[in-house]
Amino acid sequence: MLPRLSFECLHGCSGCEMALLDCGEQLLGLFDRVEIVHFPLLMDHKYQNPLSGASDGEGEIILPEAEIGLVSGGVANTEQLQVARAMRAQCRTLISLGTCATHGGIPALRNQWTSEATLQTVFAYGSPEKALLPGEVPALLDRVYSVDEQVAVDVALPGCPPRPEMMLEVIEALLRRESPDLAHKSVCETCPVIRQGKGQGTMRRFLANADYDPEEPVDQMRCLLEQGLLCMGPVTAGGCGGRETPLCIRARVPCRGCYGPVRPGGNQLLDMMNGLASNGIDYRSLVDRKSLLRFSGGHGLLKPARNRKESN
Amino acid sequence: MSREAKIIAFCCNWCSYAAADLAGISRLQYPGSIRIIRVMCSGMVHPEMVIHALDKGADGVMIIGCHLGECHYIRGNEMALARAEVIADTLEDLGYESERFRIAWVSSAEPERLAEAFREMSARLASLRETDASPSGIGE
Amino acid sequence: MAEQTTIGAALVVGGGISGMQAALDLADSGYYVYLVEKTGAIGGAMPQYNKVFPTNDCSMCIIAPKLVECGRHPNIRIMTLSTVLDVAGRAGNFTVRVREYPRYVDVTKCIACGQCSGSCPKSVDDSFNSNIAKRKAIYIKYPQAVPLKYQIDPQACLRLKNPDKCGVCAEICPPGAINFNDRERDHEIKIGAVVMALGFQTFDPSKAKVWGYGVYPNVITSLQFERYLSPNGPTDGLLTRPSDRKPVKRIAFLQCIGSRDKNRCNNEYCSAVCCMYAIKEAMTVKEANPELDVAIFYMDMRTPGKEFDRYFERAKNEYGVRFVRSRIHGVEPKGTKGDLRLHYISVQGKQVEETVDLVVLSVGLETPDSMVKLAEKIGIHMTPDRFASISAFMPVHTSKRGVFTCGAFNGPRDIPQSVIGGSAAAASVSALLAPARHTLTRTLPPPPELDVRRQTPRIGVFVCHCGTNIAGVVDVEEVAAYAATLPQVAHVARNLFTCAQDTQDLLVQEIRDKGLNRIVIAACTPRTHEPLFRKTLKSAGINEYLIEMANIRNQNAWVHNQQPEVATAKAKDLIRMAVAKVSSLTARKPLRIPIAPSVLVIGGGVAGMTAALNLAQQGFQIHLVEKTTQLGGNALHLFQTWNGEHVPRYLKGLKEEVQQHPLIEVAYTSTVLAVSGHVGNFVTTIRTGANRKRVIEHGAVIITTGAKRYIPEEFEYGKIPKVVASIEFDKLHMHNETRVANGKSFVFIQCVGSRNQERPYCSKSCCTHSIQSAIKLKKEAPSRQIYILYREIRTYGQRERIYNQARELGIVFINYEMHGPPRIKKADNGVLVEVWDHVLHRPLEIRADVVILAAATLASPEAGDLATLFKLPLNSDGFFQEAHVKLRPVEFNVDGVFVAGLAHYPKPLEESISQALAAAAKAGRLLARKEINLEPNIALVDPVLCDGCGLCIDVCPYQAITLVEYRDGEGNPLKTVHVDQVLCKGCGICQGACPKRGVDVAGFTYAQIEAQIDAALDQSCVLEEDA
Repeated sequence: MLPRLSFECLHGCSGCEMALLDCGEQLLGLFDRVEIVHFPLLMDHKYQNPLSGASDGEGEIILPEAEIGLVSGGVANTEQLQVARAMRAQCRTLISLGTCATHGGIPALRNQWTSEATLQTVFAYGSPEKALLPGEVPALLDRVYSVDEQVAVDVALPGCPPRPEMMLEVIEALLRRESPDLAHKSVCETCPVIRQGKGQGTMRRFLANADYDPEEPVDQMRCLLEQGLLCMGPVTAGGCGGRETPLCIRARVPCRGCYGPVRPGGNQLLDMMNGLASNGIDYRSLVDRKSLLRFSGGHGLLKPARNRKESN
Repeated sequence: MSREAKIIAFCCNWCSYAAADLAGISRLQYPGSIRIIRVMCSGMVHPEMVIHALDKGADGVMIIGCHLGECHYIRGNEMALARAEVIADTLEDLGYESERFRIAWVSSAEPERLAEAFREMSARLASLRETDASPSGIGE
Repeated sequence: MAEQTTIGAALVVGGGISGMQAALDLADSGYYVYLVEKTGAIGGAMPQYNKVFPTNDCSMCIIAPKLVECGRHPNIRIMTLSTVLDVAGRAGNFTVRVREYPRYVDVTKCIACGQCSGSCPKSVDDSFNSNIAKRKAIYIKYPQAVPLKYQIDPQACLRLKNPDKCGVCAEICPPGAINFNDRERDHEIKIGAVVMALGFQTFDPSKAKVWGYGVYPNVITSLQFERYLSPNGPTDGLLTRPSDRKPVKRIAFLQCIGSRDKNRCNNEYCSAVCCMYAIKEAMTVKEANPELDVAIFYMDMRTPGKEFDRYFERAKNEYGVRFVRSRIHGVEPKGTKGDLRLHYISVQGKQVEETVDLVVLSVGLETPDSMVKLAEKIGIHMTPDRFASISAFMPVHTSKRGVFTCGAFNGPRDIPQSVIGGSAAAASVSALLAPARHTLTRTLPPPPELDVRRQTPRIGVFVCHCGTNIAGVVDVEEVAAYAATLPQVAHVARNLFTCAQDTQDLLVQEIRDKGLNRIVIAACTPRTHEPLFRKTLKSAGINEYLIEMANIRNQNAWVHNQQPEVATAKAKDLIRMAVAKVSSLTARKPLRIPIAPSVLVIGGGVAGMTAALNLAQQGFQIHLVEKTTQLGGNALHLFQTWNGEHVPRYLKGLKEEVQQHPLIEVAYTSTVLAVSGHVGNFVTTIRTGANRKRVIEHGAVIITTGAKRYIPEEFEYGKIPKVVASIEFDKLHMHNETRVANGKSFVFIQCVGSRNQERPYCSKSCCTHSIQSAIKLKKEAPSRQIYILYREIRTYGQRERIYNQARELGIVFINYEMHGPPRIKKADNGVLVEVWDHVLHRPLEIRADVVILAAATLASPEAGDLATLFKLPLNSDGFFQEAHVKLRPVEFNVDGVFVAGLAHYPKPLEESISQALAAAAKAGRLLARKEINLEPNIALVDPVLCDGCGLCIDVCPYQAITLVEYRDGEGNPLKTVHVDQVLCKGCGICQGACPKRGVDVAGFTYAQIEAQIDAALDQSCVLEEDA
């Protein structure tokens, strides 16, 4: 029997799956050696026990068994929670695929507000009425969770999207029953730019261009952070460019942080601001510093502002 | 309150830790909630340690260094100050009241100032708890 | 004269703080030391004190590490119960006979279990406790005594008086250490030099009946009071009236008991320490009980030392201690209940009567007869006040070459002066014996170190009672039981004093027996005691860094002494935190680097030249940097020392010696521009002469940058030519300028610019200086009218003699107060000085031909620059702040940098010279080691985590971090940072900046700090509270 693969997409954009397809012909080689038992985005596949939109726990979803399961997207509503649990139950090895699954990703920006406030803003903006959801739509959870916050995950493969080759490498390694070799250092590890120290005054506007000579290779360019561009390389897990230059740097734009923090439990917002402040850079010149957590607002890092009592 | 309030105070070896020793010698009294952690310099404390302490249930966290300009390591306390602003801002982002963190400067000869800082922090957190306990605050 | 071999050993007579300091400095400088102590244990007077002024440190706590250091130094041989019989030979080669009296206890067998004392039937007055308590005939002097061995008092022991009696101690002694047949033994010792640190005794006030001492039980001495206050004393720090054990409400301190007194005793001198200790004792009781009425009856408050006046002001203004200027001549009983009546005349001239519960006699210091006899036998001269006769220029040299002296035997003095004296004597011995350095010393190789890397932690927790300091507040038994439940804790023990020497032996034993590989000491502060315990770990064969101290005294028992439950709970937390940290500590090796055998001395005044010359005589290369074009500094303006020695002649000789010494290189018109490096290897750039730069490499620095004088803005100075400052007056006087020659009336005004709001310190030397000038003027022409307007006359120590002389000569002393200073007006042919006369109680107008202002000594304005360059602290008056006021008076917390002279604080010439020698001793002690161990508290990079992002590079204040590229096994280019091991000071600022935990400081790693946080907040340990 061929090893079985099962794919699921939760609170995400299906970009991870697009990236997988980007592997092109290599994918065909893989598909020869595995059986894909479940892949709703690519295959017409119905849940064996369709949801009734009921609350968490009722109406169990049954998914096929698989050796390897890949879940993209975070967990934001009751249905996604059930699917995530079902995947965990049926897959021997579970991979969280992409930054939404590993750190909450862009959707977790929502965690700055309560889910009531989100609904109100999205569905009833400007209206005095309270936003209502139709009964068959699954209820929102209180916030957007990364997959590992809800179920145990064996391999975390971040990226927005993850590097296609990496996805294949991880699957191949698992097929060989080896543990996959994942990057554990920051974007800077493979970044070839010139570094002379970060201690310089102010941050430039985000849209400002880096100074570089287009004729020269990227390793002749000065570190973008040292140029005053908010490059999140030092606080972001590497791997986007493989062993080569990271992708954004290749394009001569600063890292946006899409692989999430370097260390499990790291905090990109805190680490970045600390890095800036330690080097005497006025971090307050940043507009909307919370956006430093734009990829990693899960794990409880982004929270609604505390409802504080006025005065004494 | 079912649990005991605790305040983590990072004290630098050269000034505030010495002041804490002197506070003992002078028999100054301060709240029993203070837990001093000795560090070589206030600039050694990573902001993550502050957040970590709060995440683990500390009521408040203090970093206490030498007076500005008197750092044993030239400018470690300036670094701590720059980071303190980061910490205070980030605490709000991360859902903690910024009052839960405080940075203070105490020379090795100012035990009373240190004890006062401890008392003040303790009182500040007590009033924060009162606010929290009120219905308009976010409950457990 | 035949050349005799120099012997590389020294004899130190007297095991008090001064002798101990001399012994330690000498032993560490490469000389073998015999430390002879007449009692059964070293320590001298300090262990008897409760606290020390002006820091209010616990006296026992600060001396304990030094006791242990002496006790276990491989090059110090402590000879207790011993006295010197005679000294023969000459400098460099003496033969000394020492008599060792019997202890009746075999020190090799005694385990100090105390069973003997427990069963001894004979009690006698305990002199250690100033006879307010009893001890047994077999006893130890005090619990932390070094050596910690019992001794039998032959005067008290029943068995020794009658062989048929008692002997119970011998019967029960477990190791059989009692030896009633012990006999005195004489030893012959060959040494090169002698240091006499013979110490003092306190005046016995029972001789004069007037104070009722020995008659009324509620009249006690200050030393007895000290024992009452001591938490380790016989009353556990509880003060009650001796007569009826009732609480004390009103206390009177009477100053100058046995000092400044030619009538009741022949102690003409001022004892120099009593004002300060009375303030200290008064503050201590007021602190514990602010309701008490505490009054100090004094003649002059003599608080001329560093931070002393502030201490005085604090006692007065913050603690509410009453200061009454009046000498009390008698104490009478009032009623029959033990109250005491004092009768005196107030400053306002009124008769006043006060009733108090307790009278404390501030007894002075004097040299015991036995010591005077010993000095005579050795052949050294004594002063009329019965102290060693010394020259101000050679403050530790006796009249006999090769015999040095220090401590209170040189004249009454406080602890820092005694410590300085001990070091100064060591420096002088070092210079004398330099050819024989390291010839008789031995270095013990440390035992092989156990490799603990693969062992699981087996933690030993030692909980210190610190007498009652901790155990009196914290339930140590409960805490110890709790500690035993913590993970990886293999052994828990409690000790009365964990810092005592016998506990060190015990620790070593337990580490070996129980296979411990990590130690938690729950006691006081690591800042003072960690070095001691590290050595213990080392001698037990485990790495010295595998220790963590839980500060349950200074930061717990003492600050929560009103809340025992809180303190007990917190002690558990602190121990849990320490256990959590210690389990992740790793073995480290100190960084060994060679020391550059040269010293940079900054400032070519007397202090600088003295230090330079001594170190050159010790054989080290000296770079002496002087900012002006000539050597001499402030001493160029001085004429004589307090006892009349001629300064210019001495200065000329000293300059010549310095200039001619081949090892001293003087750079004139030079200043320090930049400093880098660290102890053992400083690199200093100086600017010399015509803007040329020079780079000097040196192992140590001595800062002797002196001070400057205050230019008065008051008393019409600069406006009336007849108003001059004292230094200017000396010049006019020397040249017999007409203003002086024709002058009939002279007025000295003291404290000009000192002891005011802006400069709340005493300039220390001006009282003496003015009195000397006044005496000279009066002697030249007895008809001259001379007035000294003063606030307090501070002719401390033996200087009192010239104060008495001045008064006998008819010089008029008029006291003024801050709020009513003298006023100066120009008059025909002179100046009118208006002042309130405190005897006549009316204003007085004095017509003066010359008014002499005793102007303050100010900190050198350059001190700030040097402080920044060398990272040294200054006190609020701008003087350099030493590492510890009492026990490290010339050192800084920055290793390898020392201070002496006026840069430290205003002081007379002899004290500057002493301090300069002490600084030289410290530098010499450092350089003698040839190699230095740097603390391995440095940042370490984890190559697995660091990816060379470079966020830490500009953050490092020492430029110790550089980016490096390397290739991994597959040839991929990688980056990381490199931390220079020598440049790194271990501040951890990089650690605070790193987003990936790629760099942290050994001993304070992320993991260790996090473990401490987690342990502190561990909720599983919180006891259930009532809902």
